[in-house]
Amino acid sequence: MEKFTVELTAANSCGVLHHISGVYAKCRINIDALTFAPEAESELAVMQVTSKGNESVRTHLLKLLLKLYDVKSVTLTQPK
Amino acid sequence: MVRTGANIVIESLCRNGTETLFGYPGGAVLPIYEELYRNSYRLRHILCAHEQNAVHAADGYARTTGRPGVVIATSGPGAANLVTGIATAGLDSVPLVVITGNVSVPLLGKDSFQELDITSVTRGITKHNFAVNSPCELSRVIDAAFHIALDGRPGPVLIDIPKNVQNESCQEEDESSPLYFTRKRPLPALDALIRMLCESSRPLIYSGGGIISGRAWGELEELANRIDAPVVFSMMGLTAMRSSHPRNGGMCGMHGTALSAELLKKCDLILALGVRFSDRASGNCEKFREGKKIIHIDIDPSEINKNVSADIGITGSLKSVLTELLKTLPRQSRPEWQQFHKSIKLKNVPAEIKTLVPENLFPAVAKYCDEDCVIVTDVGQHQIWTMHYYPFKTPGSLLTSGGLGTMGYGLGAAIGSSVARGGKRTLLFTGDGSFGMSLQELATAVSQKLPLLIIICNNGVLGMVRQWQTMFYDQHYSHTTLNRQTDFPALARAFGAEGKKITTLEELDSALQDLAPDRPTVLDCRLDKDEWALPIIPPGGSIEEMITEKKGI
Repeated sequence: MEKFTVELTAANSCGVLHHISGVYAKCRINIDALTFAPEAESELAVMQVTSKGNESVRTHLLKLLLKLYDVKSVTLTQPK
Repeated sequence: MVRTGANIVIESLCRNGTETLFGYPGGAVLPIYEELYRNSYRLRHILCAHEQNAVHAADGYARTTGRPGVVIATSGPGAANLVTGIATAGLDSVPLVVITGNVSVPLLGKDSFQELDITSVTRGITKHNFAVNSPCELSRVIDAAFHIALDGRPGPVLIDIPKNVQNESCQEEDESSPLYFTRKRPLPALDALIRMLCESSRPLIYSGGGIISGRAWGELEELANRIDAPVVFSMMGLTAMRSSHPRNGGMCGMHGTALSAELLKKCDLILALGVRFSDRASGNCEKFREGKKIIHIDIDPSEINKNVSADIGITGSLKSVLTELLKTLPRQSRPEWQQFHKSIKLKNVPAEIKTLVPENLFPAVAKYCDEDCVIVTDVGQHQIWTMHYYPFKTPGSLLTSGGLGTMGYGLGAAIGSSVARGGKRTLLFTGDGSFGMSLQELATAVSQKLPLLIIICNNGVLGMVRQWQTMFYDQHYSHTTLNRQTDFPALARAFGAEGKKITTLEELDSALQDLAPDRPTVLDCRLDKDEWALPIIPPGGSIEEMITEKKGI
């Protein structure tokens, strides 16, 4: 299984991380690495999540993350 | 204007079009119930006997009206009791706004009395949930909840409001942080889809709950006529076309009709509209799509290629995509394919028998129900018999728990649906197992004077599980024989409803001619414990493995 990293921009509010990690947990995908920092002068936060999974897992995961109402954008940064 | 959190809740509900809500009071929602008392002239609250049934009632209300159902419960056990109902609504894409109280903010995280982190509990079963910390957030949060519940694929949204937030006043609304992000999707190009449809010689439309929730049944019928194709349905989509419609191929899947299985075997293209290709509907996915092209249209992008890979996947609301498609789709004629459909349809006419068996019970009840009657089911064999034997006439007239398969769903949902239609008669088919899970809600149906007609398919066993034990577990009937002595007619009378025991078709006929107009009637119909719900495809199997007769048992 290939390592992959997703970058998300989300609302910087209570419960967001729970919603996002919940999608990973629902798909039984372990989070290997996680960074989360607020964006300067905004109400948003940027998160990088690294996990392992094949292409179909990644595609489905991205679609599910994009369905979250407190997530503004989702980008697969690795592999490009 | 300075207002309390509880008052903001009521004002926001009214602003979003709420006229009726279902619920059960408790310590952590007392301020909201005080406001409900003051606003009873404009908000009708239906007090249920149990929170789970309250959320099923809100679900039934939502499926009937197309508007979000609203339910309210207290913290702790009240909130926890909502879980099954929320999950039921989530899997069937039903819009709900669920409001829970919680202990005051300073008490959160301290295992306080009736404290429950309900937003964590419901994270995986809601479309979104909000934990509110200030009364100044409430107005925007409630507006957002109504928007999200209906946006795209509908679903349940939960708002958890601590008690101090309900009591505190708000001087100025909080406008700072964004509450949700939306994504607009342009209508996709349909040229490739039209080309593929025109090239097919045996197209089959597979229609699901998306057609019902998108209220696109008119477009579906026009499409079927335009491309001269039969239509098969998932359980959630079954009423999109009347049962007697010549293009109707019945329900497909594990308990689908033999007719639908033949059509699926023979077709060369499946046009899937608002379906999930759930394991119950498609079984072995590889075999399901073998030798066929698949076009999948759904409002939810995560459904495309999830279970079955599509040759063409289109994301969009069924109503708008089909409207667009019908603007340019040429009329097609496929007489040989039509002839095939007609020839196999004739083979599926059931034999005539005159006893109280499922084949006769459901049509006999239907004779006494108006065309606009809503039919609700619980979960089990009676649910499958309803799909096979009830002659549906009106789109959206069936309420059933398709995705989660929630036993006990029916009575609450029937109450919600009847309330939504101004107290009209609603028909509930249930089993003795399912009814045993929610029967206390008869009290609500009586207090609200609802003329529900409740048909209990009473065979003294948990019939569907027993059927599986017969078929796949060497007739080891482990805990599926109920051995209960419940007298359902007497029980109904104890609640203030009507009740009769039915053992023959004549008794059924006579009971149906004399239904109470202002309270529920429970007909306890005695069926043989070894009646089966057939056909059946073994779990994980393909349509080639369909069992249509009870042989060798």
